[in-house]
Amino acid sequence: MTEINTIAPWTDASQKPYIKIINVTKRFGDFTAIDNLSLNIYKNEFFSLLGPSGCGKTTLLRMLAGFEKPTEGTILLDGEDISQVPPHLRPINMMFQSYALFPHMTVEKNIAFGLKQDKLPANEIKNRVDEMLELVQLTELAKRKPSQLSGGQRQRVALGRSLAKRPKLLLLDEPLGALDKRLREQTQFELMNIQEKLGVTFVIVTHDQEEAMTVSSRIGLMDAGYLTQVATPTDIYEAPINRDVADFIGNVNFLEGTYQGKNEIGTQLDSDDAKCVVYATQPTTADIGQKLWFAIRPEKLEISKAKPDCQHNILKGKIEDISYVGSMSTYHVKLDNGKVLTACRANRERAAEHHLTWEDEVYLHWLPNSAVVLQS
Amino acid sequence: MKNYRKIISGRTAVIGIPYLWLLLLFLLPFLIVLKISLAEPIIAIPPYTSLLEWGDSLWPTIKASLGSYLFILEDSLYINAYLSSLKIATISTFIALLVGYAIAYSIAKAPTRWRGILLMLVILPFWTSFLIRVYAWIGILKTEGLLNLLLISLGVIDKPLTIMNTDLAVYIGIVYSYLPFMILPLYANLEKMDFSLLEAAADLGCRPFKAFWTITIPLSLPGILAGCFLVFIPAVGEFVIPDLLGGTQTLMIGKVLWMEFFNNRDWPVASAVAIILLAILVVPIMYYQKSQEKAIS
Repeated sequence: MTEINTIAPWTDASQKPYIKIINVTKRFGDFTAIDNLSLNIYKNEFFSLLGPSGCGKTTLLRMLAGFEKPTEGTILLDGEDISQVPPHLRPINMMFQSYALFPHMTVEKNIAFGLKQDKLPANEIKNRVDEMLELVQLTELAKRKPSQLSGGQRQRVALGRSLAKRPKLLLLDEPLGALDKRLREQTQFELMNIQEKLGVTFVIVTHDQEEAMTVSSRIGLMDAGYLTQVATPTDIYEAPINRDVADFIGNVNFLEGTYQGKNEIGTQLDSDDAKCVVYATQPTTADIGQKLWFAIRPEKLEISKAKPDCQHNILKGKIEDISYVGSMSTYHVKLDNGKVLTACRANRERAAEHHLTWEDEVYLHWLPNSAVVLQS
Repeated sequence: MKNYRKIISGRTAVIGIPYLWLLLLFLLPFLIVLKISLAEPIIAIPPYTSLLEWGDSLWPTIKASLGSYLFILEDSLYINAYLSSLKIATISTFIALLVGYAIAYSIAKAPTRWRGILLMLVILPFWTSFLIRVYAWIGILKTEGLLNLLLISLGVIDKPLTIMNTDLAVYIGIVYSYLPFMILPLYANLEKMDFSLLEAAADLGCRPFKAFWTITIPLSLPGILAGCFLVFIPAVGEFVIPDLLGGTQTLMIGKVLWMEFFNNRDWPVASAVAIILLAILVVPIMYYQKSQEKAIS
């Protein structure tokens, strides 16, 4: 049981949160950046704040770092109120989006900067700097200035510098934003390994949903100063709480309709979009006659020329558009009533014999447990 | 081919015209002054001997004398004047740096919409003549001047302060006059500074004051150097300010030079004073040049 708790401490009420953000509001003049937000983050978590730009995620991060003070509310770190503590006295370090490396100092001196502020003995500083250089694989470049490094190398200096003081909490502001796709993917795994190795709690701000899905233990999805959903990547994707969340993470099809009650298959929806009754396994608390939506991910919609061998959840349409990306093909299927649904299929065979093409009449089908029932 | 030639001649003109300007208005006068400094004073028009003497032979003989230089080096008046000028220029530069840095830093940190106005206020005094502005300081600093009137009416002092005709007045005058030359290069430097570096320093446990010393100051060093040289170099040779605001005991080489030319009419010694002053100033100018080259690379 304890093992499960260390993996998912948020499911266990007896676990004490490491960071407690309690009813925090931040206003800049008339603008409310963060609106009465509460959030618990646990030790050793890799927590992502995900949202579109301007949603308040960076403001929240800057409040954790101490660059902004909450207008209302408190922030506790390990049980201690840090809301009013200035940044230089917090046991928290941050990796800046611009990296903010000191241009007049070598890689070595950049990493040593924080340690020098703590007045550690010289040999201790040297050991820790060497340790960090090794961790971020920059030992050979120790004497270089930031201007002599590539983007990826600078990113690693910034990471090394922010980890050198062994902070209780590391904040990362869009840490991989400036890197190209391949390097970003590689660095995501490096970040996860380092986090695991050092056991530091990470809070990362990103607008890249794939990045958040890859690295996080949990994701806090933000919009306009609110947290819309806090959940594991799987839950955010497979069990979004509303259409906005479902739409922000990945692609999704919505079928709108009226709740008809439930039968042995599950929730029945009289769908205007599908012009028939469709089913989902997931139960709902809605009243009969209420408006509901089914959210179905494109990869969960099966597409075929032959009519599937079952009774329910079959829609007929015509292929309107195909986007082929090599590993996958995405089909835009127009139903007879004009509604367009997206289905995608992994291209498991080379040049499949029965491949689908434009204007083909196809059937779409999904299993009742693939659809998510949403009330808003 | 024709076009190519046109480009070359265009480039030659762009570089050539300023060089021609410098040649005519700097190098040539410099050579004339150098020539006069090697001559001897006589009562005539012009009041110095000519460098070349056309005797009976085909070639002129060169009649150069280092007499003026020896004269300057032997008389402690000149050496004291040089030292005093360097001292006054150094102290004024230092004060201008302190004041200028504070002003440049606050402008750089001011909201963007304010910066233009604040910078214009720095440059505004240039719209009036330098001479008039220095004269205006007499009205402020003299015994029955504005400053004393204000301080007495505020009850800060009983008797008027004697500021006029002292070294203090010279410092005030130099710092006031050359402050924009300090502020502008510093602002140009500080304005480009990435203030997130100070956040990074604070994040790593550095107090704001220490972050200023370890981050802001080193990064603004090129601006500091540029500003200091722009103030120091003209301040060493300053004549108007010590003449108008300074007292009889204020010894500055610019004043000595003026006296040699117009009071003593000893053009060779005056020229030698100017040449030595230039030689002294070449040292910091070369140093500045080097630091600029380093900053570029």
